[in-house]
Amino acid sequence: MSATSITQAINTLQSNILQHVHHRALLQNVGQPTLQQEQLFFIQFPFLNETPMNDEQMKSAVAVGVVHASLLEHENVKETESTSKQQQLTVLSGDYYSGRYYQILAHTGNIALIQKLSQGIVERCEHQVRIYEQSHTLEDWIDSLTVIESKLIEQFYVVYNFTTYIELMKQSLTVIRLQKELNTLQQGQSGFLYKAFLLDGQAFSRDALIEALQQQIQQRNEQLQELLNNTKIDEELKQTIAQLIAI
Amino acid sequence: MEKMKLKMLYADIKSDIEIIENELEQALNSSSHILNNASIYLLQGGGKRIRPVFVLLSAKFGDYNIERMKNIAVPLELIHMGSLVHDDVIDDSDMRRGRETVKSQYNNRVAMYTGNFIFGKALQYVTDIEDPRVHRILAETMVELVNGEVIQIEDKFRLDQHLKDYFRRIKRKTALLIESSCELGAVVSGADEKTIRHLKRYGYFVGMSFQIVDDILDFTATDKQLGKPAGSDLLQGNVTLPILLMKDDPMLAPYLEKVASHGLTEQERLEMLALVRKSTAIKEATKISNLYLQKALREVEALPNHPMKKKLRDIALYMGKRKS
Repeated sequence: MSATSITQAINTLQSNILQHVHHRALLQNVGQPTLQQEQLFFIQFPFLNETPMNDEQMKSAVAVGVVHASLLEHENVKETESTSKQQQLTVLSGDYYSGRYYQILAHTGNIALIQKLSQGIVERCEHQVRIYEQSHTLEDWIDSLTVIESKLIEQFYVVYNFTTYIELMKQSLTVIRLQKELNTLQQGQSGFLYKAFLLDGQAFSRDALIEALQQQIQQRNEQLQELLNNTKIDEELKQTIAQLIAI
Repeated sequence: MEKMKLKMLYADIKSDIEIIENELEQALNSSSHILNNASIYLLQGGGKRIRPVFVLLSAKFGDYNIERMKNIAVPLELIHMGSLVHDDVIDDSDMRRGRETVKSQYNNRVAMYTGNFIFGKALQYVTDIEDPRVHRILAETMVELVNGEVIQIEDKFRLDQHLKDYFRRIKRKTALLIESSCELGAVVSGADEKTIRHLKRYGYFVGMSFQIVDDILDFTATDKQLGKPAGSDLLQGNVTLPILLMKDDPMLAPYLEKVASHGLTEQERLEMLALVRKSTAIKEATKISNLYLQKALREVEALPNHPMKKKLRDIALYMGKRKS
């Protein structure tokens, strides 16, 4: 496995996803869906480490990416400018992607994955909405972020019997997300965690949250390193994980 | 009154509709109290449950088993419910059927999560059915529903559209889900292909008639009956059949211009409503709705003999002639 072939795999999945969700009006008004590199990498990770994907598995991988894009699109819905065409089509983009993922899997007949992904969507929504529910601790919020980032891929791994990779994928995606949260805070902006504490009315200053996050990232990074050492993984894939974490 | 009529029409499948109602409640159970509250609130808002009714009535033409049928009746209603929650974000609506919307109770983001949660539950439910054909039909329906809404937004305030644009739009927006309810009810119950085809077409025609009536009522019913201001469709830029049929009326032109530029005052809204109500457009639109209704009734005639044929006829007539 070379660095080039990993990049190629990510690019191939990305272009396959874009092809499957192409919609003239949505593209014109809302643009391409957001596809995160780390998600595209981890969807394929076990296959990259073992046997390359066949056509059916690639379609399933596309479906997972499409669901993720669908839910991310809805994160762009704003509370203001509610009746703008952009806002209206943002809602519909997410809904369209959601229908497309189902359509892709319905055509391949992969009912087991539809079942698992829909279960993942439900769980993810339950955690996304937690930001508006009160009295959670930092650990609770981080648990929610883990579900938001990794649940869909976890379900995908379960269907294809790649359960041994779940913990590694979850830890990696959590660390990447926490790092992003930290960067956002350090730039003076508000991420999920800061908003969660604000909405919860908890006295957690920006600086205190930065410090707590740095500790969390360090701890989780150590756990992740241990996991990486104890799992049989291609060296180049380990390198890619290290690069993704060092954002 | 209207609700009573509907209940009488449902009498034969009343106990099964109650099973569906309980299943809907169970299906929406969540570990999140916000999603739970939002879902219960939506269920309490009622609704005609016409999609489950069409599933069950159509299933009577095959090997009827409520335990199997609920796996398709529940998701269809959930998909409808989820899309309404997202529609309220799209339309920035605070009220629906005289009740506060989820987006108004909480905010847009919670409404998005609630809709997605409901869609997720719908698909979780339907995967108890393994027949890929069922999933293909339902997935196609979901995608086309969204396409219908995208077209609706693109066609907003567009007065140069043709009747066929309008029919294409309402087909996707409304008729398709009713068509699929009938088709899926028949497919899941194992009805024969010819019966499936007639039921599918019946659903399509009823759906078209239903939406045209809905569009007429938006002008002819009272604010109270509608649970929102009459004429809301036009105020939001949705050009529906009555307006398309009278768009060249010089009396209406100034109102249409104002709707597109800066909206109507309350006084202007009432004047516009009076103008539409006394025009021939309402009669013409009703005639078109009736044509679809007649086509739906012809499909019923073509079905094999069954006591449920009368029900399908009665429900089509109720939906095509309703007053609110």
